[in-house]
Amino acid sequence: MTLTSIQFNVVGQPVPRVEGPLKVTGQARYAADFNPPGTIWGKCLHSPYSHAGIVSIDTSKAERMPGVHAVITGADTREGSLWGRGVKDAPPLAFDRVRYYGERVAAVAADDEDLAQAALEQIEVEYAEWPAVFEPFEALRDDAPILHPDFNSYFGFKYKQTTPSNIHHQTRLERGDVEQGFLQADVIVENTYVTQRQSQGMLEPQSIVVSIDPEDDRVHVWHCNKVPYFVRGALASAAGIPAERIIVHPTFIGGDFGNKGNSRLTPICYYLAKASGRPVRMISDYKEEFLAGNPRHHVVIQLRTGVKRDGTLTAHTVNHVVNSGAYAAFKSYGTIAGANEAAGPYRVANSRIDSTFVYTNTVPGGFMRAPGEPEGVFAIESHMDEVARRIGMDPVEFRLKNLIVEGDETAFGERLHDVRARETLVAAAEAAGYGAPKAPFVGRGVAVGERGTGAGEGTVEVRLEPDGRAILGTPMFDQGTGTYTTITQVASEELGIPPERFEIEVWDTDELESDSGLTGSRGTHVNTLAAHSAAVTARNDLVELAMEYLGWPSGSVVFSDGKARRSDTGEAIGWEELLARCGQTVRARAHTTASRSHRTSFVAQVAEVSVDPETGEVSVLKFTTAHDSGVVVNPLGYQGQVNGGFQHGLGYALMEELVVEDGRVTTLSFGDYKMPTVRDMPPLNTVVLESEQGEGPYNIRGIGEAPCIPVAPAIANAVQDAVGVRIRNLPITAQKVYDGLRLGSPR
Amino acid sequence: MPGTESTLNLTINGKPYAVTAANRRTLVDLLRYDLGLTGTKEGCGVGVCGACSVLLDGRLVSSCIMLACQADGAEITTIEGIAGPDGELQPLQRSFIEYGGFQCGICTPGQIIAATALLQEMPSPTEEQIKEWMMGNLCRCTGYYQIVEAIKAAAVPA
Repeated sequence: MTLTSIQFNVVGQPVPRVEGPLKVTGQARYAADFNPPGTIWGKCLHSPYSHAGIVSIDTSKAERMPGVHAVITGADTREGSLWGRGVKDAPPLAFDRVRYYGERVAAVAADDEDLAQAALEQIEVEYAEWPAVFEPFEALRDDAPILHPDFNSYFGFKYKQTTPSNIHHQTRLERGDVEQGFLQADVIVENTYVTQRQSQGMLEPQSIVVSIDPEDDRVHVWHCNKVPYFVRGALASAAGIPAERIIVHPTFIGGDFGNKGNSRLTPICYYLAKASGRPVRMISDYKEEFLAGNPRHHVVIQLRTGVKRDGTLTAHTVNHVVNSGAYAAFKSYGTIAGANEAAGPYRVANSRIDSTFVYTNTVPGGFMRAPGEPEGVFAIESHMDEVARRIGMDPVEFRLKNLIVEGDETAFGERLHDVRARETLVAAAEAAGYGAPKAPFVGRGVAVGERGTGAGEGTVEVRLEPDGRAILGTPMFDQGTGTYTTITQVASEELGIPPERFEIEVWDTDELESDSGLTGSRGTHVNTLAAHSAAVTARNDLVELAMEYLGWPSGSVVFSDGKARRSDTGEAIGWEELLARCGQTVRARAHTTASRSHRTSFVAQVAEVSVDPETGEVSVLKFTTAHDSGVVVNPLGYQGQVNGGFQHGLGYALMEELVVEDGRVTTLSFGDYKMPTVRDMPPLNTVVLESEQGEGPYNIRGIGEAPCIPVAPAIANAVQDAVGVRIRNLPITAQKVYDGLRLGSPR
Repeated sequence: MPGTESTLNLTINGKPYAVTAANRRTLVDLLRYDLGLTGTKEGCGVGVCGACSVLLDGRLVSSCIMLACQADGAEITTIEGIAGPDGELQPLQRSFIEYGGFQCGICTPGQIIAATALLQEMPSPTEEQIKEWMMGNLCRCTGYYQIVEAIKAAAVPA
């Protein structure tokens, strides 16, 4: 990694994780580790049909089993209305109908997990099977079965259906004159790209414990969720109880990647706890996580591009069709990005972007790291290579001609600030030796992406005690991205107190009205702002105390390196001694709201692969990733985000696929769903283009999501470069490349 | 019912335990829910991900696919038993922190247990030997690079 000379004392240093000792000793507690006395197990029954009416459910046998404490169905959870993140179209347990194979239709709570499973087998459900539809273009046909006849009554959707349809969101964005643009083109290139479902693959499946206190009726929740205030509000609404009755307790989160922003088991676990009068634990084992989780979406993207022989783009259209699965509830506001990304960060005067989200009788898609962007960028970045090759231009040269520069508008009409797209691509190509000679069956491919820095609200409290304790209070539940360390670095930087002196105090949801939690590359942005503001207030408070208790004259006191200093006499007093002498606590709490930035961060990647001509197997020999960044707050954590993001992209490119056959997920264990192991990781070269253009007091930009975005098209482009085979549907398996080698594919 | 449960004598992290458990109880459930040793995690539940790794008489095993009754009489080491008796972190634990060998931490107990077994078997492994040994422990956060660095740093220099 190359870093510039921007220097602070603690910000910018590879400070190790402050929660490290807890995590390497097994003391860090995750949701499933909480075990209130009397806790019993909850488990769900899943639909064996993709689309069916529920004629009747008979739970009497299960209810009579010794050790079974509660059996609930959709009739019990129906009261609290539908569930979702922003849009609400999903019942916690199905009622009247099921819309996908694996949908939850009933739940039991029993003394142990085996008994709960046995009880589920005693529930008798009579279904009336209906025609089902699995592919988005089939679901758009006039004669397709309609999944949601009551769509217009749902909460949160901006889109209204004029006639019954499976479309839950549709937009068109047009700039310039597209038809005229195509007339100006020398060549028109048209391709369709298909992306697969990907599981977030975090090693902690969704886990929750709910305990209702019989004394005061408070609902205690331990849940692996990064948006605990959302969980509180959503459960209050689903259960029909005031939010103040619910308390969500802090836990460590065992991997997130988008999965832990939804909390589909919360209402079910609450109703089981209520019906049984016992604390209930539910762990969505990995079979359930694959069967009825919320994977990255299956998307079909049709691109059509007009280009002149000199490489000038004249027109570009996108038809972006998302297979939403049975519900839109598991993505915020019911949509994901990707359509705009499929227009690319390229200069094109005439463009049209059509985006359609379609219900089908398949597992509902959800958020996963940079939701929608790896999908859209796989399409555009594969396609840009194909366009370049059609006019005989080098793919890097072609991109350098067309990538936006400062002042350009994107195809979707946004003017970004501090644009360094071309610089980032050049840096990647140089570091990768893009132009160096290659052995036979070796190829290099490039791809570019970008990701903005997230916004939202954050709260941090700095508390300095007269007994010498330095405490940082936070509402964030750690999902592994290092936010506790980041806020520690900021407080340390501003107060001159060493990082190891701070303790982290994580609050339950009684502490605040609201917090937006950790999503969308916002953690560092929002929380450095809040931590900075709190630390500056604490520093000012210490100065005030020195004036008040020591009689130091106003205007002559400064605070630096952990000490209040009197400039006229040179006297200094450490913060611990000052607070001990005056017996005071300094308590500075800052709440900040960061708005969306017009800065983005470009990422450019180069894959070097070799392809086995006998089998079609693709080996990534080395990979280069270049990032347009602000100031890096913690190089150790930053590199960790890059490494992990690359791993997600690599799996997406080459091996990961949640396979759905006839509407049923068939990859139901980590034996079938392949994720990269340590042996799959090629040498990774990271190039950081640091700058002082960023957000907040330290000029930072987000890094959590960008690294995973262009990996798949970089590899697909390298495969074409190596053996002339173009793979337009992910993942790039040996079988597909082998077929391409045998059947031939355009060079 | 007779024959459906057994009394087991185990030594866990040097401490003797006598427990009664159903014969079909998995070792991971016994550790976590009967004995409160929640440092051992369950991920995939089918012996693929390595999150539930423990040492059984010094051998690396997946406790999610092992029955507790199969461990009768054995000496078990879990993540809670890795640090010194005074809580002092071992070199592997320190290097995982120093090199960023974890993010969310859910796979970390299993990674450290597996790496402990590796360094007992091969005190100075090559990078290739580290990868070969550790491929049974999935991590979804780190891309593994910093895990490999952490293990190298904790190994005896070759």
